[in-house]
Amino acid sequence: MSETSRAEVDDASFIERSRHDPEVFAEVFRRHAPDITRYVTRRLGDDAAEDVVAETFLAAFRQRDGYDLSRRNARPWLYGIATNLMRQHLRTEVRQLRLVERTGADPVTASFTERSDERLSAEASRRSLAGALAALPKGHRDALLLVAWGGLSYSETSEALGIRLGTVQSRVNRARKRLRRELGGINPMTTVSEESVHE
Amino acid sequence: MNEMTRLERFRSEIPRPDPAALRAQEDRLLAAIADPAPVRLERAGMRPRAVHRLRLSFATGLAAAVVTAGVMVVAVDSEPGAPPVLHTMPVKVETVLNRAAENVNMFPELYPKPGQFLVFESRTMDTVESNGADGHSRFLARSKRKVWLPVEGDSTGGFIEGEGLAPSAYPGWPIPPEARENLGRSGPEKLADFDDRAEYLRTDYAYLSRLPTEPAKMYEHLYTGLTHGAGADADAWQRVGGMLSEAYMPAAQRAALFRAAAAIPGVTTVGEAADAAGRTGVAAARVDPLLGIREEYIFDRETYRYLGVRRVVTDAGQAKAPVGSVLTSSALLKVSVADQAPR
Repeated sequence: MSETSRAEVDDASFIERSRHDPEVFAEVFRRHAPDITRYVTRRLGDDAAEDVVAETFLAAFRQRDGYDLSRRNARPWLYGIATNLMRQHLRTEVRQLRLVERTGADPVTASFTERSDERLSAEASRRSLAGALAALPKGHRDALLLVAWGGLSYSETSEALGIRLGTVQSRVNRARKRLRRELGGINPMTTVSEESVHE
Repeated sequence: MNEMTRLERFRSEIPRPDPAALRAQEDRLLAAIADPAPVRLERAGMRPRAVHRLRLSFATGLAAAVVTAGVMVVAVDSEPGAPPVLHTMPVKVETVLNRAAENVNMFPELYPKPGQFLVFESRTMDTVESNGADGHSRFLARSKRKVWLPVEGDSTGGFIEGEGLAPSAYPGWPIPPEARENLGRSGPEKLADFDDRAEYLRTDYAYLSRLPTEPAKMYEHLYTGLTHGAGADADAWQRVGGMLSEAYMPAAQRAALFRAAAAIPGVTTVGEAADAAGRTGVAAARVDPLLGIREEYIFDRETYRYLGVRRVVTDAGQAKAPVGSVLTSSALLKVSVADQAPR
């Protein structure tokens, strides 16, 4: 889990207060919008991300009455809403990944400063990685990226996606295997390593 | 470098925005919270600063929060003596309707033409109040029904064929003798002698297929003629049911309807619910605190096909039945197209 989780322990109390006093909900935004924005931008690019993030917090605000206050940390809830909203942009996401696979140019990162040295060396593997991500079933991609990019634990991911913990594990494992296979042709050093990166 | 490390580096140049960069977004959110009018998913014409509405939705929210957090005793089978079934509420808010919207294209589309009929086969259970010679009684009437509705036009052009099934007891009431009268098959006969619904409440295919396919516009449609507040939200939620139970619309409108319904304030998710045919699924639900019931639209757990509706007591005082009792339910078993009605 990320180092910010301690500060997030009290999300539930802000959500509870926002039921009387809606403006308190801004605190939930301040706590989580930076991470969610980065996550969504990484998947869709900054154009779509702006809308998705705005809709995520508005939807969360509207659903705050139904929020289970025993969940102190709202991160899984918010990532879950964002994931649902991103499904409307599924085709955009896949199209952009395919573009990376075909051309090596990534419209998602185009407007950000590039670490060109790293990019060059990783060119080939980036392209097959993008292709592998594009080919994943969307439920598998959601689980994998929530863990790898969102920094969610498996149990937070299961909460975010509303699926069982075992399903998260099997989706992430199968997605990793697929990535490994796609990358295997490029770097023979990538042999099996089953350890979880988020312990 | 293993695949997870590579994945973590992929697009890692995208920075975590600093809070100042998000100030404009935060302001927009606050504006939307204070005055929902200009926001996409909100209906037009909302009065600014809907403080009253927020108060009311808080009251609704209390009931909904109890549902989400707690464990409910729900008598799925309302036969007397049946053991109550425990239901926990683990599923996230809004998920069911969103999944249903994503899945609309999984089912073969019907293309009814003008002059044809849509045929709905369903099972129902409704509360019946009767004042017989022996005094007041209540019971749950159960039936099978098959309804033919014209592709265009109101229900006076429709026909029904029914079969009364053995009644169930209303919680706490004996089944009165008249509940067992008139069971068996009836019809086909004319469905209705008059239908004075307002234009915007029409549910014939021709009308529904002209509705907007954008969720925001569909949301406006659901709130046509309604003021704001918990009462309006409850009405909008009921209208969703009217468009689902004996009605059929193209997939694009159906997806918009599900997304719009998911945005109605107070909508929550119920982890397990059974329809009138005993099929269990997941449900999107909304508590109506005035009636003390929760109205649930039930969907198949795997395919998210719409299964039926049920109304469950959440407030024994308001609903005059024990918490968890099912007072109404239906199950939509089959929808098809026919060239002709039976008569």
